[in-house]
Amino acid sequence: MVNNIEMDVESNMEQQVSGAAPEPAQQPQEAAVIRARSRGSSGAEGGGDGGVGGNGSGPEQNGQPPTARPPHVVETDEDEDEELTLKYGAKHVIMLFVPVTLCMVVVVATIKSVSFYTQNDGQRLIYTPFPEDTDTVGQRALNSILNATIMITVIIVMTLVLVLLYKYRCYRVIQGWLFLSSLLLLFFFSYIYLKEVFKTYNVAIDYFTLAIMIWNFGVVGMMCIHWKGPLRLQQAYLIMISALMALVFIKYLPEWTAWLILAVISVYDLLAVLCPKGPLRILVETAQERNEPIFPALIYSSTMVWLVNMADTDRPKRNSTEVPQQEPQEAVASPAPSGMLQDDGGFTPSWVNQQEHQLGTLQTTEDTRREIQQLPSDRPPVDDDDDEERGVKLGLGDFIFYSMLVGKASAAASGDWNTTLACFVAILIGLCLTLLLLAIFKKALPALPISIFFGLVFYFATDNLVRPFMDKLALHQFYI
Amino acid sequence: MNLERLPNEEKLCLCRKYYLAGFALLPFLWLVNVVWFFREAFVKPAYTEQSQIKTYVKRSGMGLLFWVAVLTTWITIFQHFRAEWGAMGDYLSFTIPLGIP
Repeated sequence: MVNNIEMDVESNMEQQVSGAAPEPAQQPQEAAVIRARSRGSSGAEGGGDGGVGGNGSGPEQNGQPPTARPPHVVETDEDEDEELTLKYGAKHVIMLFVPVTLCMVVVVATIKSVSFYTQNDGQRLIYTPFPEDTDTVGQRALNSILNATIMITVIIVMTLVLVLLYKYRCYRVIQGWLFLSSLLLLFFFSYIYLKEVFKTYNVAIDYFTLAIMIWNFGVVGMMCIHWKGPLRLQQAYLIMISALMALVFIKYLPEWTAWLILAVISVYDLLAVLCPKGPLRILVETAQERNEPIFPALIYSSTMVWLVNMADTDRPKRNSTEVPQQEPQEAVASPAPSGMLQDDGGFTPSWVNQQEHQLGTLQTTEDTRREIQQLPSDRPPVDDDDDEERGVKLGLGDFIFYSMLVGKASAAASGDWNTTLACFVAILIGLCLTLLLLAIFKKALPALPISIFFGLVFYFATDNLVRPFMDKLALHQFYI
Repeated sequence: MNLERLPNEEKLCLCRKYYLAGFALLPFLWLVNVVWFFREAFVKPAYTEQSQIKTYVKRSGMGLLFWVAVLTTWITIFQHFRAEWGAMGDYLSFTIPLGIP
């Protein structure tokens, strides 16, 4: 688990006086258990220290009380972590199901009702220049492969740029970029969305009312996401902007390109997160070294966790008054994850992957696609926050691609609801499995590969096998 | 953002900022202010800053009601008289419904 790694970092670097405070009561009981246990990488060092501290308790502990204690703390926390992780597992899954489902529902509902998003206007993103309405199948395949390649290259380049910017501490640039992209999403795309919805329902709206609506929606959204706002509202806004982005993708990516991109993105996600040289992994490790939160504005967090900062033992237990003041310093965007991320020696690392599109016929509008790893934010309850719920975080990019898959399935498939539902179930199953792996491996994992793989398999299988079968059955009134 | 964890001065500050920002033609912000701070202002046992938070919530509520009234009136007028206004109506319209005179 990420926090285990951080615990090691902290116990190496600093002394967790405050962290040790809640543990003393449990230490006597756990001490025997701790000595007997041996755990993985994080446990090895703690186990060694704990073992030595336990057996030769005299010299080791007397000599260096602070350093001997953290391993115990680490181990007890790990104990609690292991148990509590498993205990909270199902709850976390449900906490993520709801927003993912909501996002998909919004996208599918829009696709079904507003025809704008399924019309082929001939517009394309400049990153997918090859048309798909070609004469031969071979040509179409080739074009879609080329499109996907270009797109992936752009994504890789943007990720590398981001990692470089982060490495060289150009935080202002990154924040400005994030700010502009959320501005674009909240104002411009919602304007288009509203326009199309009103057109579909044949409602007359005047400029004044429209202006008021867009202005309110946008400003409150910016405040909730980048500053302080109620958690539920922030979650709702994140869901809405993910849905908007997914709709843009569904509209502007041609068929085969879209499926190919989904597949390739999953593979890339897997590689970028898990390979030692992957850009996202480098990003995380850099952030870990610096003990900083990463781009909290682009993560969906299911609960607000507000823990005490354990990294800095010079000052005493930090109460929550300091957190808001920290925010301007770090220029951290959103409060919910930043409250989380600033604690415990910094952070739960998260990834951001960004991309800019230029919409073909429109001027200088920019999209950003973000992709963040899903990570555990489970932390041992500390100090006076024992009643704090742990939240799980999922990146907005994951929302976007899940919704894009389901939306494309509902838009394109001839089987309509069968296929859509099958893809929906597949993605949720993939999410469950990913969370299960998260509980087992306890480190940040890519959330895309499993779900997208299942989703794609289910889509093509349902569309080509199940649907004709069900149609035949219905035709012959044969019930099974 | 969990209000529970904030100290009272911070809550007051936040409420005040939301209230003031709502004057920039943002009734939605006032709505958020009212809903979010309602429990703080009226349900929680009294604390020093609560009376001020109460005033802000009340004023946000009044501002919200004012806006709701204005918008409802305007929208009703517009929807009712749009066809009769002819050219002016079209000029004001963002989307024009099809098939209805």
